[in-house]
Amino acid sequence: MSARDGVLARVRRAARHEVSHPGAFEPARMDSGWERFASTLHAVGGEPVGPVQSGDLSWALSELCADAGRVVMGPGVAQSLGPGPWEELPEGVSPQSLADVAVALLRGSIGVAENGAVALDGRHAPVRALPYLCERLILLLETSEIVPDMHQAIARMPPDATRFHHFYWISGPSKTADIEQTLVLGAHGPRSLAVVGIRDLQ
Amino acid sequence: MSELLDARAATLLPDGEPLRRHDAAVFDLRRRRDAAVAALPDFEALRTHAQAIKTHTLDYLDAYLERFESQAAAAGAVVHWAEDGAAHNDIVHGLLRERGVRRVVKSKSMLTEECGLNPYLEARDLEVVDTDLGERIVQLGQELPSHIVVPAVHRSRAEIGELFHVHMQTPSGESDPVRLTEYARRDLRPRFLAAEAGITGVNFAIAETGTIVVCTNEGNADLGMSLPPLHIASMGIEKVIPTLADLATFLRLLARSATGQPITAYTSLVTGPRAGGELHIVLVDNGRSRLLANSTHRSSLACIRCGACLNTCPVYRRAGGHAYGQAVAGPIGAVLAPALSSQAEGRRLPLASTLCGSCSAVCPVRIDLHGQLLAWRRTRAHAGAGERVLQRAAAVVLGRAALLRAAGALVRLCWPLLARRWPGNPLGVWLLGRQLPAHPGASFATRYRRLKGSKR
Ligand code: SF4
Repeated sequence: MSARDGVLARVRRAARHEVSHPGAFEPARMDSGWERFASTLHAVGGEPVGPVQSGDLSWALSELCADAGRVVMGPGVAQSLGPGPWEELPEGVSPQSLADVAVALLRGSIGVAENGAVALDGRHAPVRALPYLCERLILLLETSEIVPDMHQAIARMPPDATRFHHFYWISGPSKTADIEQTLVLGAHGPRSLAVVGIRDLQ
Repeated sequence: MSELLDARAATLLPDGEPLRRHDAAVFDLRRRRDAAVAALPDFEALRTHAQAIKTHTLDYLDAYLERFESQAAAAGAVVHWAEDGAAHNDIVHGLLRERGVRRVVKSKSMLTEECGLNPYLEARDLEVVDTDLGERIVQLGQELPSHIVVPAVHRSRAEIGELFHVHMQTPSGESDPVRLTEYARRDLRPRFLAAEAGITGVNFAIAETGTIVVCTNEGNADLGMSLPPLHIASMGIEKVIPTLADLATFLRLLARSATGQPITAYTSLVTGPRAGGELHIVLVDNGRSRLLANSTHRSSLACIRCGACLNTCPVYRRAGGHAYGQAVAGPIGAVLAPALSSQAEGRRLPLASTLCGSCSAVCPVRIDLHGQLLAWRRTRAHAGAGERVLQRAAAVVLGRAALLRAAGALVRLCWPLLARRWPGNPLGVWLLGRQLPAHPGASFATRYRRLKGSKR
């Protein structure tokens, strides 16, 4: 018997097939405004920026990226911006070639007020390592895409989200407290994370 | 029992500063958890809901495992099954060997600790680098993690500075956590970039979509699974949950219970390999199906490894994780060891508990941990002969008031002898680092009678 069949046979014998699934959870009602999202984000070490009008976005981002070194922006960001201190993410590059990126500018979707997380869909980060290799990560988020809690956040994920091999929830910068419980930002990934709220993207 | 205590006493945290620091650090996590819980009106309802999902999932685990397997395969992942830790290690090694891999980066995975993967691979000339900072510290120190969430919580900053100095040539005497973390970052980044394979654990596996979910704060797992072409994810068969919607419940509980954060910094959902890469998922049984068949103890498979029960446990806080001698320490470690550990002493761990119930009160999936510990004590089939005699004697004494009074008097009489260090003292090892408290001089019953008399 293969290991698979052996394990499954034992599990099948042990499983009772009695208790049914409890169904959906009914969360308590909570606020989903930018203010609440921003204060949670701040509490987890992130920087809320804005919200800004889409017309001011280019200017706001230029400020954020000034003198930063190599700035790479992902798909879905470019069309709303003019020229600036950034380059578009080249197609088909190896992740290793992005090791020197100082700032990654990526299009986030779905903000979660209860935990400050922003969804980063694989389509907006085609090089899966980019949001972890950069020194600083900047995510753009339409304020209308903020939901109160994780249940609604996951319900909002596009139906094909899990087909696109990676989908990230990112809440604040990389951090560790492994040395005597002292919180240090930038353990491996970005040392800082800014989320730029946009009132009327497109 | 005394052999257990003797053998383990040497692994206890020493009294004084190390003990105080450890206790403060883990209890700080407990306090952060409490603050996060208080801020979320849903929390108790979420615990109940999570428990219900887990109970259901375990009841249909065969169906969910098959669903997960077929969905993951449909997304392009290769699913492997391992009966035990040895089979798991063999599968992982085979995958690496076939591809000529020499350098591996690994993120935190309690399962691979349970299977002893690192020593197995290192013995076969592979370079395995643990990338979670805490794991890296215990790897450099050549020891087991002492906590499932903060593996190096037993180490002081000075000790960590010294380890880094020896292994990474950092300046001697450096003990600043910010600079030490920066040194580790600089040491590990090139290793990430050069690695040919990344091994990660799995926090949740979604049957509906074939997705694996990995939760970290550092982002090390993400670098490990997105830079090298080969990603191997190891998971126990109990990690499966039914749907994507169910994930929300567990994500809301996990980090709050672990560190008081509302969610970990990174929650990565991975479905199939990335373009040009490979994803292999190894499903490991290693005693879990046996535990599933045990109706008293199957609920311990619901554990999501948040560490809350460790942080609140008076025994864990006092003893430190190494005293348990297992990959997983604390109350959940003591509950799982009799079922999953290959070592005989694992079966004795349920004895090392006060049964205070604090663990059960914080567990996000409502595992009845202290009830489980008590149940293991009842079913323990491996008590030594000497211990059985002691237990029987205790039953006789505790069953007769006069005998109990006499025994109490005898112990009070012998107390000064027990508290002193001398070669024949049965409490000898315990006195190496600590003192017996002064006893109250008279039994509770006597003092109660006196008190009542004086009131009249
Ligand atoms: S038993 Fe419960 S409290 Fe302990 S680690 Fe597991 S989930 Fe957390």
